[in-house]
Amino acid sequence: MKTRTVEYLVRRNPEMGVDGRPVTVPVLPPGVEPELRGEHMLINIGPQHPATHGVLRLVLELDGETVVRCIPHIGYLHSGFEKLGEYRGWNQIIPLTDRMDYLAPLIYNCAFAMAVEKLMGIEVTERCKVVRVICMELDRIFSHLLWLGTTAIDVGAFTVFLWTFQERERIYNLHERFTGARITTSATRIGGMMADLPAGWTDELRHFLDTFPDTLDQVETLLTNNQIWIGRLRDVGVIGPEDAVNCGLSGPNLRASGVPYDVRKDRPYYDYETYDFDVPVGEHGDCYDRYLVRMEEMRQSVRILRQALDRLPDGPINVDDPRVILPDKTDAMSDMESMIHHFKLVMEGIKAPPGESWFSVESSKGELGMYVVSDGGSKPVRWRVRGPSFVNLSALPKLVEGHLLADVIAINASLDIVLGEIDR
Amino acid sequence: MGKDFEAAVEGLAAGAAHGASAPPAGGGPGTGDGASHPSVNALRARFGDAILRHEVVAGDEHVVYVEPSRILEILGWLRDDPGERYDFLKDVTAVDFGGGRPLQVVYELWSIPLRRGLRVKAELPLDALEIDSVTGLWQAANWLERETYDMFGIRFRGHPDLRRILMPDSYAEGHPLRKDFPLRGRFSRAEQTRRALALGLEDIYFPEELEVGLGGRRPGAAPGGSDGGETKTDGGGS
Amino acid sequence: MGVASAGGKPLPVAGQGGFSWLTTRLDFVVNWARRNSLWPMPFGTACCAIEMMASAASRYDLARFGMERMSFSPRQADLLICAGRVTYKMAPVLRRIWDQMPQPKWAISMGACASSGGVFDVYSMVQGIDTIIPVDVYVPGCPPRPEGLIYGILLLQEKIKGESVVDRELHARLRAEDPEAVGRPNLPAEVIDQITVPFGNSTSQNRASGLVSTTAVARPSDRRP
Repeated sequence: MKTRTVEYLVRRNPEMGVDGRPVTVPVLPPGVEPELRGEHMLINIGPQHPATHGVLRLVLELDGETVVRCIPHIGYLHSGFEKLGEYRGWNQIIPLTDRMDYLAPLIYNCAFAMAVEKLMGIEVTERCKVVRVICMELDRIFSHLLWLGTTAIDVGAFTVFLWTFQERERIYNLHERFTGARITTSATRIGGMMADLPAGWTDELRHFLDTFPDTLDQVETLLTNNQIWIGRLRDVGVIGPEDAVNCGLSGPNLRASGVPYDVRKDRPYYDYETYDFDVPVGEHGDCYDRYLVRMEEMRQSVRILRQALDRLPDGPINVDDPRVILPDKTDAMSDMESMIHHFKLVMEGIKAPPGESWFSVESSKGELGMYVVSDGGSKPVRWRVRGPSFVNLSALPKLVEGHLLADVIAINASLDIVLGEIDR
Repeated sequence: MGKDFEAAVEGLAAGAAHGASAPPAGGGPGTGDGASHPSVNALRARFGDAILRHEVVAGDEHVVYVEPSRILEILGWLRDDPGERYDFLKDVTAVDFGGGRPLQVVYELWSIPLRRGLRVKAELPLDALEIDSVTGLWQAANWLERETYDMFGIRFRGHPDLRRILMPDSYAEGHPLRKDFPLRGRFSRAEQTRRALALGLEDIYFPEELEVGLGGRRPGAAPGGSDGGETKTDGGGS
Repeated sequence: MGVASAGGKPLPVAGQGGFSWLTTRLDFVVNWARRNSLWPMPFGTACCAIEMMASAASRYDLARFGMERMSFSPRQADLLICAGRVTYKMAPVLRRIWDQMPQPKWAISMGACASSGGVFDVYSMVQGIDTIIPVDVYVPGCPPRPEGLIYGILLLQEKIKGESVVDRELHARLRAEDPEAVGRPNLPAEVIDQITVPFGNSTSQNRASGLVSTTAVARPSDRRP
């Protein structure tokens, strides 16, 4: 499509022309064609922008409304987590993990504790395993709800945002009853949890599970067969399975392209192979499939949660290992050995054996890898977080090429990124 | 009292050593059991001396140390060989142990069809922090290697776009995750603030972005351009 | 000429020049209008942004304070809520957004990271956004509960009650902006260095993992670990 740009010079003549308007005079002499040039435009989105899901900066080269090239700039939230982790004891890193993926903090808490426990050769109690599965699946729902609300609001549907946030408030209540905090939960400790579940918490969770699917149904009636929603998301941001694997996509983004890779099924932990759940896999690899996959994942998480609640065993929540777990306060105040043990754990920290371990967990965003290297001290030599959003976002330039500007927002939203884990 | 105290401390330390529990969970099908891993055997058979050593860590994770100069060949074979098929690159990172010891570049691989994983490491001496880039094998490596460069200063030969990614392009304090880099940076807070607010257009846009933004002119060139027609035209002139 | 106050300045007396009943009423109306219709500019970066979104959602509902219309363009905003940690890479963006806001404008620093750097006393984190922009209210918390943010907003509304458009001197002190200050830090360099020294636990956590010690950080007020 050719674009014509013909310039006219508007001059205010002392004598106005007919009907009181200034006389316009062409810049070029008549008969000379202006040179047709199309220029690409450079647009900067962010880092402060409502629809970038955090401090992401996208620099787009546009040909009209079509994206020719997209260059993401990240690092606007780089908080030095990995460096800071080298200066903190093992349990002191747990509060740092909340602040990376602040949309699903319990998953990060659990993943880090699991990596260190693998390094130290500690097997947690059965009750702790089931409680951690409950925490992780609850936060998967938590994260997907926020994704749903913000994606809907980016595409233009405001109501869904309010409904999902109302559901999230109920999960906030659950977080707060268990850990004392709404978002920055810091619920796990090496060898167990910060505390056992309070009385009545499982009933509240059951009540949530009974009523939450109705909200999902309501959202589905608003969105799933909505022509505007389909029109905005179908066949937008398509990526095929081989490309998706090569680009390192994981989680719902990868599964929407047809690759059935889920860490809970392929490298299960905490008895996930004994839970009865399905992993939704899409076919087209577009934004709409990513939406469908996440909606179904929320329902599957409800299924897992019900099973986990049914099988929640009694027993201690913390492992009975003096290397890692503080003694009871009454013991520490009365028994000499416990007091010394408490002193050493608090003053020196937990000592991990030299070595390294990598633990992969299926987080709501994709495959979360925690890599810890220890030299025998109470702090890690290296703590590496393989944040799924970092690699997912690197596929964005490929996904948006050739799409319209409005699609960039939809594609970015469908990738479900969180900048805390991208920038770390 | 003193002797009891000592004895109690001894007992505590001894008790801790015996307090280890069963081996950890978290393995999966086909990751290789305690001692052997099919890929390691195949690597040894094919690459011989380039495979420096093999370790099993954390119960069931297999780590292979390889010669850095042959990393591209080895990882390419691991990706393409029908018996290996490590099509998913989970992570590229590095570990600095400090004290002048070599840096380890770590590649975490996973085979989705065969459901097994492998960690490949290459050790680089501090005065030769260069290794080939594997962006040609896995596109996921693009940003992962940029981050490793940014944080450690390891140059990846052949990388299409080796620039800092998390720190600003003009960051002058060094490479943060190195052990000789202090936690709070090398400059004072006031200096960091001053530098941060003094960034110009060239610091926040890459040269090719500026080229587009300034209408095809090279950044810093005179307006009007010295050579006509260098812009990206669409539908052409006449 | 009226009763002298303790500071030597004549107190305003009705009908004798100075401030009249009408002008104080004007102040009251202007301040009332301004504080009850603050349009926030959510500068949300991290976890606090989620709590800010939760404050704007149905349960905590900022709309009842007149703050329904979140303005994402600084040109149309009154209140910058900096929610979340700000890195040095992000600092010029924050300063520019602040400079682009027209007066009257206020800033709330939400959360520990925006107020002082929070848990992140590291190479890349701004140790408090008041080194970059002038802050009116600090809301502590990590993240602060929505009630905490609302309390901070109410405090700001109290602060706005004490402003004046009629009292030229006060107005100039509060609302004048120096064009030279655009793009510059809010505090002078020595003050920045003074207020950003490590404190509390941070001073004794300079050592990385045990067996290999790193070079010591040479800051004068660090305690030895």
